Amino acid sequence: MIEPHKDLLQIEDLSKEEIESILAAAQPFKELFKRSVKKVPTLQGKTVLSLFYEPSTRTSSSFEVAANRLSADFTSLAVASSSVVKGESVLDTVDTLGAMKADYIIIRHKKAGIPNLIASHTDASVINAGDGFHAHPTQALLDASTLYDAFGTLEFKEKKILIVGDILHSRVARSTSRILSMLGAEVRVLGPGTLVPPGRPKKMKNFQNYKDAMEWSPDVIYLLRVQFERQGEQFFPSSNEYHSVYGLTEDRLKTVKEKGIWVMHPGPVNRGVEISDSVMNYERCLINKQVENGIATRMAVLYWLKPKTLPSDE
Amino acid sequence: MSDSILFKQVSIASEDDSELLVSDVLIEDGVIKSVSSDLKPSDNSRTIEAVGKVLLPGLYDVHVHFREPGQTSKETIATGTAAAINGGVTGVVAMPNTLPAIDSGGMVKSVLETARRDSRINFLTTGCITKGRAGKEMAAISGMKEAGVAMITDDGSPVENPQLLRRAMEYAREFDLPLASHCETMQLSGSGAMNEGRRSYKLGIPGIPSISEEICIARDIQIAAYTGAHLHIQHVTTAAGMEIIRRAKNDGVKVTCEVAPHHLIFNENHIVDYDTYYKMNPPLRTEEDNDRLLDGLVEGVFDVIATDHAPHTEFEKKQQDFEAAPFGITGLETALPSLNHYFIDKDKMDWGQIVKRYSSEPRRLLGFNPVSIKEGEAAEIVLFDPNGETTFTKDFMESKSPNTPFLDKTLKGSVELVAVGEKVLLDRI
Repeated sequence: MIEPHKDLLQIEDLSKEEIESILAAAQPFKELFKRSVKKVPTLQGKTVLSLFYEPSTRTSSSFEVAANRLSADFTSLAVASSSVVKGESVLDTVDTLGAMKADYIIIRHKKAGIPNLIASHTDASVINAGDGFHAHPTQALLDASTLYDAFGTLEFKEKKILIVGDILHSRVARSTSRILSMLGAEVRVLGPGTLVPPGRPKKMKNFQNYKDAMEWSPDVIYLLRVQFERQGEQFFPSSNEYHSVYGLTEDRLKTVKEKGIWVMHPGPVNRGVEISDSVMNYERCLINKQVENGIATRMAVLYWLKPKTLPSDE
Repeated sequence: MSDSILFKQVSIASEDDSELLVSDVLIEDGVIKSVSSDLKPSDNSRTIEAVGKVLLPGLYDVHVHFREPGQTSKETIATGTAAAINGGVTGVVAMPNTLPAIDSGGMVKSVLETARRDSRINFLTTGCITKGRAGKEMAAISGMKEAGVAMITDDGSPVENPQLLRRAMEYAREFDLPLASHCETMQLSGSGAMNEGRRSYKLGIPGIPSISEEICIARDIQIAAYTGAHLHIQHVTTAAGMEIIRRAKNDGVKVTCEVAPHHLIFNENHIVDYDTYYKMNPPLRTEEDNDRLLDGLVEGVFDVIATDHAPHTEFEKKQQDFEAAPFGITGLETALPSLNHYFIDKDKMDWGQIVKRYSSEPRRLLGFNPVSIKEGEAAEIVLFDPNGETTFTKDFMESKSPNTPFLDKTLKGSVELVAVGEKVLLDRI
């Protein structure tokens, strides 16, 4: 029997069965989106607060749409321009928000572990929407959900996933590789030596170049965003050089097409760096599917978690 | 204290012997009057039945932070020395990274003045290598020497400029002042908050690579060899760093070094759920480093054990995220019980090694004679029950700050009595 969790902080906290139950819960929501009325009353009267300490468009709006479609009251705090800048600590902010009796707190922060710290100080369900280099569990769930549809099965055994790019600074690489491994897939990586750290999980073997990686015959190429904003130092000589060595270019797309490989990217895309324009139109490019499934998956997460703010009979 | 104390059948620890010597010990007027079997109590003596208990010379910790002046919400000389007594430590050397930093003869005098008033144990201070610990120009080294500093150090930071460090070593050498070095290469540590490795990758915390420390150890040793100065390397955490020191010692370089109990006991894998009570600098390394450092301690690469007692308030440590929380944990009260619990009790170390590394050698490093439990010596003693238990609650601890991984945990071993001269400083019997 699966006990609902209070928080979603990192994929490591979920068992395979729990992951499967969240992904299963997302399926009916995907069906819902085909209807003219896309709203259900599941979270009527519940309050969802969103705290984004880092700029984000797609994740924050994805959570907003998800909460609205579940009929929750959604409030987003412009924390970047509020008292946080004036030196109030995150926990002080959370205390203040506690007075607003939120049932769910969605948080993104540039420091790892902030959602964990908050979760231990509130009865509300805390959903990690990305913390530093640490974790992005709803991204991992929506990626798994997208591959569930692409593969037509939740059994990812013998599937090969190649993650390309900045493994060092990517919370997506950490969370998505974890969930895909748990579902049975083999995950390997390709990227500049500076961005593929030896501290990654041992089974995540790396390739030295695209040619070797393609000979491995991956089912999915998962491109990571080059995060210029996180890099205070130089990890590769130039964007052009990155594109020519690690980018999914015209030439490389031919092999990808021949082999029928799926292409994914968590967004936002740097066109001409990790990916060339034409790849965006490739028929097995799942980038838009990922965005679409993000809403259904986040609805499933909100539905699945159980805040301690609710009376026990609910 | 009554005029005399008679310990019956106590087990005496000495640096010269891995075995304990069971005997009676009579202390009279602050002096060890007699060590022999079957001593009879006199009329006004207190008799302590001490079968199974260990009598040690007072411990000496050459690396503590007492935060006074300037950060007295974390610790003061009064609470810090009380914490030392609670852990069986009867001598300490305080670091100069106070606010303002201890970087002049006047500051040294002022701190020693406070200690004369507030400390019941031997208290020494260090002074900075550079003014304000800023790494730009030499501090008033001769003035601080005259005022009585034990060593000079910019502890908490390295002296980044190698030419300045070289000049400081050449200069300090003529005053017979050891230069203690916090070895870290700042460009490699960056914004790191824990050891760089599997654990930091998993937690998404920026890492401090082992080479940050090792490169600086190698650099400082080369400068010490070149200048002939006495270099003391603080809180070594990596096996590779230790091996650099071992080679330098074999080559005759005048280098000494210390290891902290937490770097022998804990490693990066103990950092679970962003617990900041496992965050210190240099950071916890790997399990292999734990084992290799312990071997090094037993083999004598490390001259001394020192805790790097670094108090921070509960607010600073627990109301902030892992990266924002300050580096450091306390250690004075937990050191001896933890060494007993993890090493003595498991036959990985013996009492002779504890006395040598945490009592005798620290005193020699400072130019003092070691204290020991022999007839005619002044009493500076700790009675320890290796089979007792200590639970490190906030109530139990005398430090102002609770930032230790042992908070509310129980360790095997208990400090029962501490006496210096005629004064009994702690009595839990």
